[in-house]
Amino acid sequence: MRAMKTNTLVRQLRRVATIAAVSLLANAAQAAAPGITGTSFALDAAAAYITQPDGSTVYSWGYGCTTPAAAGTFRPTTIAGGNCPTMQLPGPTLIVTQGQTVTVTLTNNLPTRAGATSILFPGFTVTAAGGSPGLLTREAAAGSPVTYSFVASNAGTHSYYSGTQSDLQIEMGLYGAIIVLPSSPPGVCTAGLPTTNPGGNALARTNSGEVNFRLADAAFNHNDSCYDREYLFQFSEIDPRIHRAAEEIVNCTGTRCPGNMDTVATEPYLPAYYMINGRSMPDDMDPNYSMQYPHQPYNGNPHMHPGELTLLRIIGQGRWQHPFHEHGNHVRVLARDGNLLLAPGTVGATTPLAGPLMFTTTTTPGQTIDGIFQWTGKGLNWDVFGHGSKDGAPVTGDVCVPDANGYYTSAPTAQNYYEWCGDHNKALENKPFGSVGSGGPVTLPDPNIVANGPWYSGSPYLGGEATTRAVGSTPIPPSGTVANSPTDEAGFAYMWHSHNEREITTNNIFPGGMLMMMLVDPRAYVIDESK
Amino acid sequence: MLSTRFFGSGIAAACLVLCALPVAAQSFKVQCPTATPSHPSDPADAAANPAGGRIKCQQISGGDGFATMGDGTQTYLFGFGPLSGLKKMASGLPGTDVQSEFNVDNTSGVDPIFIGAPVDQSNLDVSAYSFNGAIGLVPDPQSEPTPGALTGHVDPRLIMDVGVMNANQPAPLMAIDEDDEFFLTLTNVGQVMRPDLFEQHTVHFHGYPNASAFYDGVPDASIAINIGGSFTYYYLAPDAGTYFWHCHISPPEHLQMGMVGQIYVRPRQNRVATAGATAAQLLQSLEVSNSDAVRNPGANGVTCSDILCTGQTPAPTAAGVAVAAGTKFAYNDGDGSTRYDVEYPIQIHGFDPNFHFVGMTFNPESFTDMKDKYFLLNGRSYPDTVAPGTMVTQSTDGTLHASQPLPSVINIPVNGRALLRISDLDVTEYQTLASLGIPMRVVGLNARLLRDMAGNDMTYLTNSITLAGGESLDVILDATGYTAGQKFYLYTPNLDHLSNDAENFGGLMTEVNVCTAVDPSTKACSL
Repeated sequence: MRAMKTNTLVRQLRRVATIAAVSLLANAAQAAAPGITGTSFALDAAAAYITQPDGSTVYSWGYGCTTPAAAGTFRPTTIAGGNCPTMQLPGPTLIVTQGQTVTVTLTNNLPTRAGATSILFPGFTVTAAGGSPGLLTREAAAGSPVTYSFVASNAGTHSYYSGTQSDLQIEMGLYGAIIVLPSSPPGVCTAGLPTTNPGGNALARTNSGEVNFRLADAAFNHNDSCYDREYLFQFSEIDPRIHRAAEEIVNCTGTRCPGNMDTVATEPYLPAYYMINGRSMPDDMDPNYSMQYPHQPYNGNPHMHPGELTLLRIIGQGRWQHPFHEHGNHVRVLARDGNLLLAPGTVGATTPLAGPLMFTTTTTPGQTIDGIFQWTGKGLNWDVFGHGSKDGAPVTGDVCVPDANGYYTSAPTAQNYYEWCGDHNKALENKPFGSVGSGGPVTLPDPNIVANGPWYSGSPYLGGEATTRAVGSTPIPPSGTVANSPTDEAGFAYMWHSHNEREITTNNIFPGGMLMMMLVDPRAYVIDESK
Repeated sequence: MLSTRFFGSGIAAACLVLCALPVAAQSFKVQCPTATPSHPSDPADAAANPAGGRIKCQQISGGDGFATMGDGTQTYLFGFGPLSGLKKMASGLPGTDVQSEFNVDNTSGVDPIFIGAPVDQSNLDVSAYSFNGAIGLVPDPQSEPTPGALTGHVDPRLIMDVGVMNANQPAPLMAIDEDDEFFLTLTNVGQVMRPDLFEQHTVHFHGYPNASAFYDGVPDASIAINIGGSFTYYYLAPDAGTYFWHCHISPPEHLQMGMVGQIYVRPRQNRVATAGATAAQLLQSLEVSNSDAVRNPGANGVTCSDILCTGQTPAPTAAGVAVAAGTKFAYNDGDGSTRYDVEYPIQIHGFDPNFHFVGMTFNPESFTDMKDKYFLLNGRSYPDTVAPGTMVTQSTDGTLHASQPLPSVINIPVNGRALLRISDLDVTEYQTLASLGIPMRVVGLNARLLRDMAGNDMTYLTNSITLAGGESLDVILDATGYTAGQKFYLYTPNLDHLSNDAENFGGLMTEVNVCTAVDPSTKACSL
């Protein structure tokens, strides 16, 4: 985390960096895709202040629960402490099942001068009742709720957002996500991966004492949509000038105040905050429902093990496009706006996928993408577990027995579960310092001429066991002082971020904005997405 | 964690960078083994190595320099420059060497190494320059068992002579083939114009499938090389396609300031067609390659073994074509559909002159106000995009440096095909590039062939493509049915991007010429 170098910003930056470092060290949050479930939701729209990592508070509007949601409605059930305040940004993630009739009653608790508000559910055929007619749908004025109902026809990830004075209301925060679970997940998915690895990942998860945080076994009624983990990322921006202008109108006293928001200019647009799930880095890597962010309950902090199929639910909620670059591998796009992309021919659970492979998944305003990410290390040409021989003797007793696809999946308890066996025992280093394979192609640089990052696990190798062998018990950086400790997590860290790189700043300060670290964790490390 | 300004006097700090580091504190070193476990011998002829691949090496500097904009303005860069393959770079080619080209003793006396190389300061000529080896490489007096071997030991004076202020725009072009092992040495020579900075630099191989965190170039997740040191990145070439690379230190700043380059990977299918191939042979080679990627003799080689098609491409459902000897392909397509006659790297970028001025003058940087005013194809704006040869820029020391080696003029042989490898590393906004005349066939997106998992062709014809920073795609322009002498344009319909700062004509534009013949290496057009 290298920072900027200007005198005028150094002091400010140091404060932010300190906050960042503290929050990084205080926890190792993980993510999941939390929300509330049911068929009938009572939402309201209300105003509150959200916070940004530069210390500012931003007056915003958001959807929330009219009354506190019942404890049993929070999903996944394996995350404790769920809450649904009267205003949150993004709005509550609504988790429903395909084919259900969903009813959303919207109460307008916004300040009077904010005017009416509404919700659009793009992609669904909506019936609206109550309220008053508006341009795009029926709208709720204060004291006059409106009810929307629709059949959740398509599985996958969907967005919802305001259909009233949208240029202002969406900017202010009135948007959220709907996750529609498939009506009949393929049986092959209930046990784990289908053809490649029946049940192996689920078994490995159980063996290592890990909890299941998935909302379902599959994203769609399709065999290739099985997944092991899932994360929801909503991208949006904030131009603080617009929020200040709205706030001034709301707080205006006297006889010459504007009666509505018509005078708030939403152009020119100059965002200063770039957010994932309503938070900027590093706040997005704090836990879900963290008490520091009472109106920003959702985080963005993906973790996974090698070989796990990770479902990415990506939504563009702002007015700009953001090229979301996933370091580490390509993403197979499954669906856009909940529409599965399949090869021509008979549509069924086994129709081949037709979505593209992308290393940068653009977020488009209002559009959603469901995609599968997986990291295996296949093709690196060196053993990421540091296996091999040194001075004529094997450095570990680990074996790698390839399955039909070349991975070691037959021993779910092995620390090198899902290793790509083609690279097993291939050394990286020519003459290693520690006890890892030797005779490889490269010589690592002198540790004295490099700078170590806070997510550097201490060695090129995956896992605490391999890192300890590679660099000894006191690796550089010293264990316990980094976000990805060599003696604890010891994962491979990747940056997932907007590649319009100026958007990984928070109000002119790097690092910040639309940025998070994804961790590929060794099998021995227990991923707890409830944290 | 924070860079702070330790020195009130820039001169003192500059002296430290220039004088002290090379003498006492440097740890420069290059790595390019003559053999590895995967390539126990490096065959001079790739055809003699059917398993495929060779040892490829390149050295780059991380530092600063200047480039010339379309309106003549000298713009300050944080940038990468070539420290190997200088002759190739000056010829507009990828600077990547095979190990025998890289491992050449700098003291052999036959090749000149001087400040500003490869530019002859007296007549601006670069054509006389002939050295492609690693700058700085000299015999190692302490090598075992025999002193005086080439071990990667370098003379830092040579590296500083060439590497200081030699930033290129775009950063050095790299090209490798599938099955190659690639050793990329980044040598941090410091930023002479910014002695207050102690910047590390890194290389992020953008889009590499199954990247390792260690070699991913993200300083937060790995290590980053300090000034005065070298770090060698190691990758087995990934699946064929158009990738790009950039520094990942403070990306909003270092990318805007110019630390962006392209790397592309050629498919192993090129080696199948050295003597020509029938459609059946192309298909068979793909299926064998797919099966090899799974390491399962029972794999059918027709479909992918995993959802990301790692190392594989679904076999085509449509019939292929026979291809002539020496045909090149963008991908392992199995049907010849991505064949081309001549290839052009096209990197889109944008510069905000205010930010670059601030970057040179120690002022606070603003990210929210960033607004590009120069729009660049391979580091140049129109009309520089069609100027032949290397562009040179005078640096603050009065020396001329080769700053922008890559023209973007696209010459296509009549009835032939040009492959445009288009990547975008703009840090502020989306860019559109349109073809006036020959339509674009988009064959690849994000370094993967556009084909669904059933093998159906998903490529498409269009007149324009739109990319964000961090995306790439591959386009084929097919000049079948056109006439030699025809000239078309590749330009941006973002019409405000057809400008060079205050000049209202220029920007993101270049020319497409239909030629009687095109030399595939020099890309010269004969009419």
